[in-house]
Amino acid sequence: MLDLLREIERELGGHPDEVTEAERIDAAATRRAVGRVLRALAIVVALLFVFSSERLVTWVNGFEVGPVQDRVVAASTAWNALMAESGLTMPAEAVRAEVNDLRGMSWPEVRAHLENEKARGREGARLLRGALFEEQG
Amino acid sequence: MLFPTIEFGIFFLVVFAASWAARGTPEIRKLFLLGASYFFYGWWDWRFLALLFVSTLINYLAGLALARSARPGFRKFIVGVAVVAGLSILGFFKYYGFFLTSLSVLLETAGLTRDLPFMQVILPVGISFFTFQGISYVVDVYRGHVPAERSLPNVMLYISFFPQLVAGPIVRAADFLPQLHRPVSLTRAHIGVGVVLILSGLLKKMVVANYLATELVDPVFFDPAAVGALDLLVGVYGYAIQIYCDFSGYSDIAIGIAALLGYRFLENFDQPYRASSLQDFWRRWHISLSTWLRDYLYVPLGGNRHGEAKTYRNLFLTMFLGGIWHGAAWTFVFWGAFHGTMLAVERYARRQIEFFAPAETAPGGIMSALGSGAQHLVGIVWTFHLVCFAWIFFRADSFATAGSYLAGFARWDEASQYVTPFMVGLIAIAMLFQFTPRHLGRWLARGVQYFPSPVLGLLLGGGIWLIWAIAPEGVAPFIYFQF
Repeated sequence: MLDLLREIERELGGHPDEVTEAERIDAAATRRAVGRVLRALAIVVALLFVFSSERLVTWVNGFEVGPVQDRVVAASTAWNALMAESGLTMPAEAVRAEVNDLRGMSWPEVRAHLENEKARGREGARLLRGALFEEQG
Repeated sequence: MLFPTIEFGIFFLVVFAASWAARGTPEIRKLFLLGASYFFYGWWDWRFLALLFVSTLINYLAGLALARSARPGFRKFIVGVAVVAGLSILGFFKYYGFFLTSLSVLLETAGLTRDLPFMQVILPVGISFFTFQGISYVVDVYRGHVPAERSLPNVMLYISFFPQLVAGPIVRAADFLPQLHRPVSLTRAHIGVGVVLILSGLLKKMVVANYLATELVDPVFFDPAAVGALDLLVGVYGYAIQIYCDFSGYSDIAIGIAALLGYRFLENFDQPYRASSLQDFWRRWHISLSTWLRDYLYVPLGGNRHGEAKTYRNLFLTMFLGGIWHGAAWTFVFWGAFHGTMLAVERYARRQIEFFAPAETAPGGIMSALGSGAQHLVGIVWTFHLVCFAWIFFRADSFATAGSYLAGFARWDEASQYVTPFMVGLIAIAMLFQFTPRHLGRWLARGVQYFPSPVLGLLLGGGIWLIWAIAPEGVAPFIYFQF
């Protein structure tokens, strides 16, 4: 559509590089959208820097060996230790531990878990019925 | 540089910010994106940058020659030369070793021994994809679907644009080049689609595909003779999910990144395991390749225009060549030939059924609806198992491994080693997503597009954090990089 507008302008003798109203509005909307994404990306970087600091250590350990790597590894390790001390790495560790429990689960454990759930359900129903009878009685 | 890595994250941040800063000067923006794409490709092996450039140059010159020539014979000649040149480059890098090994085996079988010029040829990453995009450009210009591009950087950017360069989707010239001539913009819809696809792609690849690969598929396929039938059965189901999540995950991220840069790629997967026939499966699986093969191979071969026998032949040839495209091994040849044969058998069976038992035109009530539902369900289960059977050959490193895998289905008395509740749960959840409403992603994107930047940042950052926390350590390369 914008190409078409440009063509019409050209046919009418307008300057081909002149910015049309539609393009100006489009440019403003794009500028706002880009700003929105950039702000969101800044939040992403900050979140990962704080809550996933151990990934940073793993990443810098893959750098080529040299004085720069030594310094970067030292800095990222110190940063990770600081985050761990502040308890900010705990949520990731908790999620990982939960996933590891799931990974390690065997079929008998699943069966036992399901039976437990069923028993709890039955117990709940029994209590509910008891409460109901008491009310009726 | 793999998508789910910190290197790529930094690269993308820089490209995103700089490319949008250059929006006012479209030519500079395109040159910047071109430079970024060559940098992205050179990160793997800078020596192949020249190959990428030469391949592009051949197609660009062919396009110009087509624009200047009106003689049909000469135009056909130009297309022929460009296609042969592209396929020769692909053939040398991808099939040289395979061809000589096969020739050597053949000669030995015939009692002849020859010194063949074997050499170690490194396969440039993404060569199959950029070769096909180049062919798409020349053929589209020849057919008049797109005008010949005067600007070399535009053709270079079309072929090398980094989101799709190494593993697709195979973008058509007629879809992408016109976008380079329009003022680029970033809308709310781009943002919604981009964020949802990037998160879903990362989840599919880093969590589902990586866990299934390391804890089920790799050990089972490493030595199928060492495990029982249950492990083998769940192993091939696992591979079906792994390859889907791996490849569609890559496609999702590629489409999402392109959207955030203001470009539109077409969908590459559409819940393929809910297909109720093989034909339906190929409409949903790797759509950019299957439509490429349809438009540039099946249709030029004659399609279904020259009678039944030729239609079967064309179906077979198309899938057979599609199999070879995937890799230089007889297992891929078998995979393609199997799909081609089964597509032809399916077509034949459908025609026979239509002839002997034509479908009722009038609505037949509840029994008829139930019957057609059951038929559909049987079709889904049957198609999924046919596809899984073919995946065994696709994944196995040789016919011997595939044979051993199939023979293992007789060992039902052996206890399972790898079928854990976690693996079964992953497979079940991934299969469930094959049957969710088709436009679930679109609905999510519609919601996300209105999020203010702090919420968008929390969603994307929290999503990546959670995926990193759940996913196994390290990032395995994408399966389709080898093609």
